[in-house]
Amino acid sequence: MKYLPFIFKHLRRNWIRTTSTVVAMGVCIFLFCTLQSVLAAVNTLLEASSANRLVTRHAVSLVFSLPLSYGSRIQSVPGVKRVAITSWFGGSLPAKKEGKGDAAPEATTDWSNFFPNMAVEAEPYLAMYPEYELPPEQYQSFLQDMRGCLIGRKLANKFGWELGDRFFLESFIPPYRKPDGPFEFVVRGIFDTDPAKYPGTDTGIMYFHHKYLYEATGRNVGAGTYAIEIDDPDRAGEVSKAIDALFENSDAQTRTETEKAFAAGFISMAGNLALLLNGIGLAVTFTILFVTANTMSMAVRERRTEIAVLKTLGFSSGRVMGLVVAEALLLGVLGGALGIGGSQGIMWLLTSTPGIRDVLAGIGLTELHLQPVVAALGFAVALFLGFVAGFLPALGAYRARITDMLRTV
Amino acid sequence: MAMVEVRGVRKVYRRDTQEITVLDGIELQVPEGEFVALMGPSGSGKTTLLNLIAGIDRPSSGQVVVAGTDVGALSESALAAWRSHNVGFIFQFYNLIPVLSAVENVELPLLLTSLGKRERRERALTALKVVGLADRAHHYPRQLSGGQEQRVAIARAFVTDPKVLVADEPTGDLDAKSAHEILELMETLNREFKKTIVMVTHDPRAADRAHKQHHLEKGVLVDGAVKTGAY
Repeated sequence: MKYLPFIFKHLRRNWIRTTSTVVAMGVCIFLFCTLQSVLAAVNTLLEASSANRLVTRHAVSLVFSLPLSYGSRIQSVPGVKRVAITSWFGGSLPAKKEGKGDAAPEATTDWSNFFPNMAVEAEPYLAMYPEYELPPEQYQSFLQDMRGCLIGRKLANKFGWELGDRFFLESFIPPYRKPDGPFEFVVRGIFDTDPAKYPGTDTGIMYFHHKYLYEATGRNVGAGTYAIEIDDPDRAGEVSKAIDALFENSDAQTRTETEKAFAAGFISMAGNLALLLNGIGLAVTFTILFVTANTMSMAVRERRTEIAVLKTLGFSSGRVMGLVVAEALLLGVLGGALGIGGSQGIMWLLTSTPGIRDVLAGIGLTELHLQPVVAALGFAVALFLGFVAGFLPALGAYRARITDMLRTV
Repeated sequence: MAMVEVRGVRKVYRRDTQEITVLDGIELQVPEGEFVALMGPSGSGKTTLLNLIAGIDRPSSGQVVVAGTDVGALSESALAAWRSHNVGFIFQFYNLIPVLSAVENVELPLLLTSLGKRERRERALTALKVVGLADRAHHYPRQLSGGQEQRVAIARAFVTDPKVLVADEPTGDLDAKSAHEILELMETLNREFKKTIVMVTHDPRAADRAHKQHHLEKGVLVDGAVKTGAY
């Protein structure tokens, strides 16, 4: 510890170089932490997928819906247990109508409180999702009310909604909008989940009757996707092929995949974030390694005389090497702290900025935060970069002979 | 008793396949409390001999015994520890650490001791007082004159109370007045603090301050000790 002020003074000697190195390393650690946090959030999302559920969508894109007649034909495929229509509604709260059933119909859309909402065929859908725990009387109440909806506990807590509360949603998808204004919903059930049994299951979501959507839009909408439960998870590939084969010669060909693959594909619609950030992160990490190594080499080279003086005064070669490595590690500590702080900041910004937060929520990324293990790993990477960058120059300082260094003054 | 004993020392440098003999069969004794000047033309081996005495270089053959220790027999780390306790080095160009203040520069060798922070600082300030720079303790090298820098370097050299001070052209980069002050200071350290001093110099006036002068030519001591007027 007694050498720390000495090391700090050396870092301050060329503060522009030190600052730029710290910032560069900070950017590297920022990218690492942010990327890992996003991936962790995606993995959590994917973990909630079940192996015995498939999703059938339009072969071209999720943007196109499938005919409603496909449901019964899919049901006829051997190995299929249940089929349910699911349509991503994309509804958001009209600002003036939140929780107010009698608000004006010309309400404006409130994007700041966006949450995932789906129109589903309730009975088969809920039967294939044991993750959702719902009291039987609430389930019955929901089935009997066309405008009824189910909301997860997280949503209920967020908006303070209780059973019987009304609210309005308006979709940004043109076919899902109705001429007389937003859709009105009544909370008929609040579901929970067991996080130990079903980790990653999100209760920040809302479900309502697909029939309501169908009727309210003039019976003019199809099925966004079909959720399918199969008897045997091991036959997922075979059943998927059989389903797609059914519609091979139709106008709307299908693509059936496991729920996990579907979720992964859905997230990747935002761009292949992982690949992109991994690539950038790796390139930046290597660049920063060389930048820091160069900084340390320059620092050692311009201090050859001082190193010779230190050795003359009685500092052993090991101690001098330790001082150089410590200086590089300190760059790592500062860069790591900056990167972790920046990553924490961007997470906060992403999850609290209206619009961005809503986009993330729309793809299920409601839980995006810097996990302690990621922060610790980021810090370790920073220290590793500092150590590797400082090691070779430090070794040079270790090996250098006093008389040689003094002679080059 | 000799504080420094150089016994049949030879120093050879290799440049590619060529061997260059810098010192050849040096025999030298410096008694405790002596102030000795090493003189000679450039390339005569003065600085090499000084480096051997200071323990920052090793002889190719022969022995260098300083304060009873065969310097060449010590390992690298043991030699470093030995230097920190036994030798104070004064450079021609002062070689202060520019990012450290005067008192921090003087304190530097004390970091290798077990002294606490406060005691280190007190000793460094005392050393600066001895060299007459107590009022410049918190100035940085760039804020000091050449003479003042060298005085700080001298304070750094004796702050650990070493037995031997070695000085390589300590007045070589100074004007006459500053050089005079530095030599006065070295005489004081020798006289009042009983430090054994070995100084390399080209300057006859500086050498006159020493008790004895030794002359080197082409790596060989060409005469016996020459007593100076100061002795």
